[in-house]
Amino acid sequence: MRNRLISLGTLAGLIAAIIAGCGSQPAAPTPPPAAAGKLNLDDWESIVAAAQGQTLNWYMWGGSESINRFVDEFYGVPLAERYGITLNRVPIADTVDAVNQVLSEKEAGTDPGAVDIIWINGENFLSLKQAGMLLPDWSRRLPNARLVDWDNPALAFDFGEPVEGYESPWSSAQFQLIYDSARMGEAGLPRSYARLLEWAKANPGRFTYIAPGPGAFQGTRFVKGALFELSGDAAQWVSHDQARWERWSPALWAYLNALKPYLWRQGETYPRDENELHSLFANGEVDFSITQAIAGAGPLIAEGLVPATARAFVFDDYMIGDVNYVAIPRNAPNKAAALVLANLILEPELQAAQILPEHGFGLGYAIDVTRVTDPAQLAALEAAQSRLGAAATPAADLAGALVGDAAGAYQRLVEDGWREHVLIGTGQ
Amino acid sequence: MTRARQTFGIWLALAPALAVVGLLVGASLAYGVAQSLGLLAILGTSQVSVAAYRDLLDGTGPAGREFWPALGFSLWVSLASTGLSALGALLVAAALGRRPADGTILLMLNLNLAFPHLVWAVALGLLLGQSGLLARLAAALGLIDAPAEFPVLVRDRDGLGIILHYVSKEMPFLMLIVLAVLRTQGTEYDLVAENLGADGWQRVRHITLPLVLPALAAGSALVFAFSFGAYEVPALLGVRYPRTLAVLALESFVNPDLRQRATGMALGLIIGLVTLVVVGLGRAWQRAEVRHDA
Repeated sequence: MRNRLISLGTLAGLIAAIIAGCGSQPAAPTPPPAAAGKLNLDDWESIVAAAQGQTLNWYMWGGSESINRFVDEFYGVPLAERYGITLNRVPIADTVDAVNQVLSEKEAGTDPGAVDIIWINGENFLSLKQAGMLLPDWSRRLPNARLVDWDNPALAFDFGEPVEGYESPWSSAQFQLIYDSARMGEAGLPRSYARLLEWAKANPGRFTYIAPGPGAFQGTRFVKGALFELSGDAAQWVSHDQARWERWSPALWAYLNALKPYLWRQGETYPRDENELHSLFANGEVDFSITQAIAGAGPLIAEGLVPATARAFVFDDYMIGDVNYVAIPRNAPNKAAALVLANLILEPELQAAQILPEHGFGLGYAIDVTRVTDPAQLAALEAAQSRLGAAATPAADLAGALVGDAAGAYQRLVEDGWREHVLIGTGQ
Repeated sequence: MTRARQTFGIWLALAPALAVVGLLVGASLAYGVAQSLGLLAILGTSQVSVAAYRDLLDGTGPAGREFWPALGFSLWVSLASTGLSALGALLVAAALGRRPADGTILLMLNLNLAFPHLVWAVALGLLLGQSGLLARLAAALGLIDAPAEFPVLVRDRDGLGIILHYVSKEMPFLMLIVLAVLRTQGTEYDLVAENLGADGWQRVRHITLPLVLPALAAGSALVFAFSFGAYEVPALLGVRYPRTLAVLALESFVNPDLRQRATGMALGLIIGLVTLVVVGLGRAWQRAEVRHDA
């Protein structure tokens, strides 16, 4: 597995290098001075100066109080104190709302618009990139971009879509399951999709997963993991190949339909989102929930969503990881402040702070910690790692099971196919 | 001459309101129609196409496959909710007869109206879900072994949870309408009928019913139109399949694949069209009924 990942990384790095080569603009002999609205990324000081006094409208999913607090405290305060930027966090119910806002502004020809920066990834990134509404060619030119491993395919491709400087990473996540250590022992945990089916047969009605569909990527991710295990190789799904899909998808539907009669409510319906699954788990209706947080069940315990005895674990392989990013709309009114924030997010101290569940965020690093050289910063990173505690999946387990996500085109194939063959289908 | 001037005056007085309504509704409607025909400024397409409608009616494509089941499910949920609500309101009217409704009842009915549908639906879910309050109570009392054995009343495939929600919300609404009519009608008709020897059922059939029917029919049309087009209740209390047209429409519209927007808009317009047809049929039936009575 590791070998495959490494060779994949080299390949992706090559591709990225070629793309970067094609995309780089002809070097102007003397870049024009940073006028209002025209920013020169090669002169970072000028950007910091331009950002001074701006109000930054950060559109982000606001469904988690603890994340909101984390953002206000860990980014809002330094933005104000170090850069004189006022953070205006705009909470939205779903990132697609921010996407729709920007798309409506495009339709109406509104420039400057309302959105400065968006917490984004996957399908929403694809939407805005397709619509040509993202600020191009900036994320690799931030001062802190040197800490980011752009050769890592899990980072350089966002659900298979090349990032190409259109967005800058914030944090990483990986699919994990959660069990209650008060209810079952670690030895009895299923460690593969095949074992999960056996487990479900022995414990009918005690497992379910989130219905795959737009806005419920966790469910789609669970199904994609099954596809990876059935086909025996995750790397082949990084590029879209319809014939490959036709070949393997019947086995996927067969697996899920075999699982269906042993699911919660016999698969008649499925939880809509993570919160619904957490509440089924906390109510004792099912024995597993899921999380994407590197801190495992810790943040959920802190929020009181799952019992304090909840623990995260992973299968032995095919646990999909991904990175989430921030992107700047082309018509953002305060682009300089947005760039300053994107750079601030990558500061090692703040990266160390974000993985700790008690800070309320609990997602993984976006930077490659081996690239950090400053001793104080290194110490902060190490201290944070050692404080993750028992509710987190051991780092070695996470790394051993990590695979990148499939190409974006599979998202809809999985979601539509699942509805047709598993949800609506008669179960044959 | 005076008549013409009068008509002109009415139209003049209505003009400001009509202009606002016409502009807002008309513009959104035109925009919706344009989007449903594939005219999406975002994608830069300018080719008119009825593909969205064709795929829905043919049952092809991801949304199309669900169209006919969703239409049937929506009709079932809305018609059952409207019918049960109207029936309940009528029974109350019959039971109250000429007695004026007392203040407590009116207060309770009004209180019910004050709850937003969203809150009501969440409360129903918490009360009736398999891990809900009643399930826990039943398990604690030993009626069932575990909360999960509680019968599935919300998030069920037959839409019972949604119907229960609409009936519990809309029956009080229709009752208020019926009570308001009865209060203004006085008791003379009833007394005359009683004097002429009509029994209780005959008075309901020939006095109360014709009196409240026009208002009840109008109210029921409102209830149907609302429940047929509303999103939040089926989204909260429904299953992942079958879904109502409204849920299907919204999910198509917010699908990150921008081409799905045409489908979402087409579904929205179809919802409007079906509502108009059903309410129109209801009115025609009501007119026939009135004529038949007369």
